[in-house]
This record gives sequence, structure tokens and C-alpha cells, in this order.
Amino acid sequence: MRFLTLAAALAVLASPTWAQDAVAQPPAATPAVAPAAAPAAPATDTRGLDQEVQDLKKDVVDLNRDLFVLEEDLLFPANTQVAVFVSLDVGDFFALDSVELKIDQKEVANYLYTPREAEALLKGGVHRLYLGNLKVGSHELVALFSGKGPNERDYQRGATLKFDKGIGAKYLELKINDRQRKQQPEFEIKDWE
Amino acid sequence: MLAFACAAAAAAPPYALAGREAPDFALRAALGPTLRLSEHRGEVVVLSFWGSHCGPCGAQLAALNRSLKTYESAGLTVLGVGVDDDAVRSKEFAAAQPVTFPLLLDPKKAVARLYRVDNLPMTLLIDRGGTVRFVHRDYDARSDALYLDELRKLLNE
Repeated sequence: MRFLTLAAALAVLASPTWAQDAVAQPPAATPAVAPAAAPAAPATDTRGLDQEVQDLKKDVVDLNRDLFVLEEDLLFPANTQVAVFVSLDVGDFFALDSVELKIDQKEVANYLYTPREAEALLKGGVHRLYLGNLKVGSHELVALFSGKGPNERDYQRGATLKFDKGIGAKYLELKINDRQRKQQPEFEIKDWE
Repeated sequence: MLAFACAAAAAAPPYALAGREAPDFALRAALGPTLRLSEHRGEVVVLSFWGSHCGPCGAQLAALNRSLKTYESAGLTVLGVGVDDDAVRSKEFAAAQPVTFPLLLDPKKAVARLYRVDNLPMTLLIDRGGTVRFVHRDYDARSDALYLDELRKLLNE
């Protein structure tokens, strides 16, 4: 008996519009109205359904974005978050091939750049090389850059930065610039205060 | 003997990555620039793992090169991944292969581990959406015919 009641309740919940119609309209009135309204109804229904599908898709995209942000907030809380970015300026004297990143003598990232990615950096793109957590205190970052230097020679250079991680997120940028005067590339690590 | 062979084939474990998104990687090519798998999203990618010591690998690479010539315009990309420890030996092997597709080097076997390579040659077919669809853990006439059927199916999707 309880099962039947539950089933009836579920049926009513699952189709509230149908249930309301059944209550609101007397059965005798339905056949008289139905033939005239029938041809126009499918087009309106399809349009409405299409709109609903589009709204649903938008909701899914929004939800996915919110989940991504939430996941990042949970995995990398602002108090411990450290992010390292790579940028390239001009690039006449250096063609980037890879960057190896060490924090406190531990390798945390090793990234190989394809020509397409290097080109994107040259056009002003910034690549997030690393996102992780560090406790408050003093730390050391070492970045090793490999690529082709002046005259197409294999070129390897390193850059080091000692930094203090306080409360709040820390953002560091590995910048590769051309130094025209020396005809050499220049590698620096910038601390975004 | 035949029954034993059939039983052994039946006992081969299913490939763990089948139906899953192909893990992304970037590797240096023996000749040419670094390549990243995700840059080929939208194309059907054949990923073939080879070693310089592996007998049928050369024949397999040659067969893949024939497929590439036929189906390149339909959106096919072939990438060979060498898993030798010795990069010099890999480069020599790669230079001797009459193929036009890139032969990548994975001396640390990071990509081979990622793709759970347990036999050479091993060939994976990745669809346009980046999902691993088929895998072949050997190379012979039968597997070659099957591979072509699967490849055509993916190209038609």
C-alpha cells in the first residue's frame, strides 16, 4: 500500500504540468479545442525545446567552469599558492626549447616547448609553467633554460631567485629578453608583488 | 599448440587506456622539431612505439608510411616513438627508416610508461577527439588488415 502511494506521488511529481492540466480542464472540453490547436503546437514546442537545450548546455558550461575554479581553490589555496609563468620578449637571440624548474632543489616542472608554443610566447602569450603549494618562509627557485642561442648554437642558461613566501598567493615570472647591446639573451625572474 | 596460442591470446589483458583520453606528451624528434600530441587534436593519430632492437618494427613503420601516403589528406597523422635507452642508437635507426612521419625519442621511457607499453611494436589508434580507440600489440598480416579497417572507420567518423 505504501509502495502504491509512493509510486503515485512520484508520478505526480514527475509530470506536474500533465497533472495540473488533468485537474484544471474538464475531459469534455478537450476534443473541441484539440483539432484547431494541433498544427501550430509542434513548431512552438520544438522552438521551446531547442531553447531549453541551449539553456541546459550553458548551465553545464557554467557549472564546469565553477567546478574548475573550486577545484583550483581547494587544491591550491591562496595562502600557500605559488604560480610560475614563462614569457618571452622578442627572441632574436634565443629560440626556447625547454625549461626545467626546481624549487628548493626539487624538480617541480620540466616543459618541452613545441615551435607552435614558442611562437605563441613570442606573440605575447604567457605560459603557466607551474602551480603548486609552498609553506610560508624562505625558498629558492632555479630555472634552467635550453634552446638555440645566437648563431644557432645550443644554449643553456640558468636563473636563480631566493624569495620569501608570505601569507597570500605568490606569482613569479621567468622572463626571457633580448639584450641588444650584448647581442645575447637575458634571463630574469620577476617577483610579482 | 594452436589451442595454447589461442589461450595465450585470450589471456592477454585488455588495454587499460582503451576508451580513455590519450595522455598528452611532448617529445623531441630524431630529425626535426619537438612535437606535442595535443596539437594534433582533430586528426586521427596513429602512435607507434618502436625500438631499434625490435625485428618487426622496421616493417611496421614502413607499412604506416604507406598508410600515411594514402590517408594523409583525410586527416591522418602518424607518430613513431622510439623507446631505446641509447638516443644515439635510436637516431641511427630513425635515420635509416624510409619514412616521412616524425620519429620521436623517448629515452627516459616516460611516454612508454604513460601508455603502458608492454610489447614492441605497439600501435595505438587515437580518434579525432583524442580518445584511444584501438591498440595492436604485434605486427603481422592479420593485424595489419584489421588495423586498416579500424583506421578507415576512425577517418570516416
